[in-house]
Amino acid sequence: MVVEAPGGGEVTSQPGGIDAALVPSGPRRIALAVSIKLVELWRARELLVQLVRKELKVRYRNSALGFLWSMLTPVLMTAVFSVVFTQIVRIPVDDFPAFFISGYLVWQFLQNSCQGAIHSIVGNGELIKKVYFPREVLPLSHVFAQLIHLLLALLVLSPYLVYTRGLDVLVHLPTTLLAIALLTVFVSGIAMWFAGVNVIFRDLQELFVVIFQVWFYATPVIYPLALVTAQIDERFAWVATVIAINPATVFVELARLGLYGSVSATGDVVAPLTDGPPAWPNLVATGVATGWALLAFVLGYLVFLRRSRTFAKEV
Amino acid sequence: MSADTPRRSLGQLAGAALDPTQPAIVVDQVTETFRLYHERPSGLKERLYRMRRASYTDFNALEDVSFTVQHGESVAVIGPNGSGKSTLLKLLARILPPDDGTVLTNGRVASLLELGAGFHGDLTGRENIRLNGAILGLSGAEIAERFDEIVDFAGVGHLLDTAVRTYSSGLEVRLGFAVAVMVDPDILLVDEVLAVGDAEFQERSLERMRAFRDEGKTFLLVSHDLDAVRDMCDRAIVLDRGRVVFDGPVTEGVELYRQRVATRSAPRVDRQRGARQVAIDEVVLVGADGRAATEVPPSANLAARIRLRALTHVEVCSVGMVISRGDGTHLYELHTTWQGVGVGPLEPGQEATVEVRFTAHLLAGHYALACSVTDASGRETWAVVVDAARFAVQPAPGGAGLVDLSATAVVTDGPARRTGDGLVGPIPLSRLQRRQARG
Repeated sequence: MVVEAPGGGEVTSQPGGIDAALVPSGPRRIALAVSIKLVELWRARELLVQLVRKELKVRYRNSALGFLWSMLTPVLMTAVFSVVFTQIVRIPVDDFPAFFISGYLVWQFLQNSCQGAIHSIVGNGELIKKVYFPREVLPLSHVFAQLIHLLLALLVLSPYLVYTRGLDVLVHLPTTLLAIALLTVFVSGIAMWFAGVNVIFRDLQELFVVIFQVWFYATPVIYPLALVTAQIDERFAWVATVIAINPATVFVELARLGLYGSVSATGDVVAPLTDGPPAWPNLVATGVATGWALLAFVLGYLVFLRRSRTFAKEV
Repeated sequence: MSADTPRRSLGQLAGAALDPTQPAIVVDQVTETFRLYHERPSGLKERLYRMRRASYTDFNALEDVSFTVQHGESVAVIGPNGSGKSTLLKLLARILPPDDGTVLTNGRVASLLELGAGFHGDLTGRENIRLNGAILGLSGAEIAERFDEIVDFAGVGHLLDTAVRTYSSGLEVRLGFAVAVMVDPDILLVDEVLAVGDAEFQERSLERMRAFRDEGKTFLLVSHDLDAVRDMCDRAIVLDRGRVVFDGPVTEGVELYRQRVATRSAPRVDRQRGARQVAIDEVVLVGADGRAATEVPPSANLAARIRLRALTHVEVCSVGMVISRGDGTHLYELHTTWQGVGVGPLEPGQEATVEVRFTAHLLAGHYALACSVTDASGRETWAVVVDAARFAVQPAPGGAGLVDLSATAVVTDGPARRTGDGLVGPIPLSRLQRRQARG
């Protein structure tokens, strides 16, 4: 793609010898800005790779068990939640640990990415004030580091999932990968939003824990979505609506469809739920997930870009 | 769209490639404003109360700055602290967007604003070279290609696989510099980094920058080191309070800066701090005519009149005087006891006046006088007035620099010719005045 220099087309020359081709108008301007951004991002890929490596190295370094340590949280959480929700409060799903961890890993990916990203601009103030590079690589590096972590964790846990849910888990791997791909786009948008907004509104990092606590319980990680719609009291119907609208629900359900299988209501009082093996996603669910992913990405990125102009003054 | 219309590729627009038909740098009517908050609201109550009324002042770090730099030019940006030099460099490096006006750079820009930016202590030297290179915009292949050269230049070969947190600070800076200069940009921006590292490394750094300049690359240096500026650059832009006050040949710019700007130091503080035994009541600088001197021609005869008052009984004391240039350069110091003269004995309340006569063999600039009273051995200081008096030496034809050596030039062998009326000095004051009148 080329753009005209002064002297051609609608471009007029400006005082001071400014190359007017840099400020075209209308859709061309947007197309140009997007293309420039893409070239810039493509050129920054090495930086992204290095930052992701840094994240992973710093995280796993200095300990012989490295990666295994970071598996401790999900495994421990699974153990605790399994005891609580199968022995004390009963959530009637088969293989609760498999059910829980298939949703929890996805949730952790979202939460940890945002947690890393929210400090990525404020914490790198010195760098931002001294060197130019596309700022979005900072939050994105956290997302990709967490993505690699998620994939490793799934690899480690896959024998267990196959053992409990059957070979269908492997057969329906594309479902899982699709869910993770869409989730990555979604998380990138959310992470950039948190990173950008935290620069001017530092209270956000204090609110972060609360936001994610509420969001966690509003997402069907511990409980199946089918149980909510089947059992919730009339007066709290809005809760079911909120949970259903929550974009994280869409991604957790989609990933769980590939890793664990479907859970649906039976209408029976004694055994209200029934679960099926991993399956292919339906078009509506995929469409909704794609919609949320793109919406979050575009909005998050736009807010971030707008904010990033003045990062060097504000961090 | 005719066939011969010059086109810019996307790579050029994204700053990746160079378009030789356009200037290297265009800065057009740029203003950069910083918002200085007087008081940051802290508590929640206060924050709610002042939600819409945070008090601040807008401060223009740069005001209506315009200039163009062609490919291959080496430009120095000089000016006192707070004149907007670093802000300008940040605009050129795209770290800050201009609030008003346009900044265009043509080609790949690398900045040495901070060495080792983004070094991570837990990573090894090897990993940090890769990370730092990537931050500065190198691709993986480019880093691999230049890796050995970087290691060699920084001299960190034996520590390559050691965490950078164990490096000495000098070594870290060296490594940072080595990576930064390997970027091989079309436009290099340098901010005050000549003063790092040991002498040998400094020499190598300067050499590297000279080589860069001689390759015909565009080079922009911000520095207070006027000698380095003169050595490295052909053109100088003098900034003062965010405005361009001079843009022209480097020798003129440096001279102007020396005379006009560097020497205008911070606001006067002629308070006397905690005098013991003897207080300095008054310091006056008088000219040959006996009247207070503020602006004098070069090599004028001056006298510093220092009036003392004893606070207790003083057997003997010494009065000292220091003359320095506005930027703090120590020029001359004298204590009366060095010439075998002491003041005393003095009774409490008794006054004495010391007159130090001297010829100010100085060239155009602003100078300050400091006075002190010490015991006879000079070990104990009793009273100091840091900024006791100031004077300016007027520009005059003849020489340029700091000291008036009253040199004369004669052609002893070969034909000579009179070129002018002798009033055309090296001092670009007339040019400056014309410039200001135009602006």
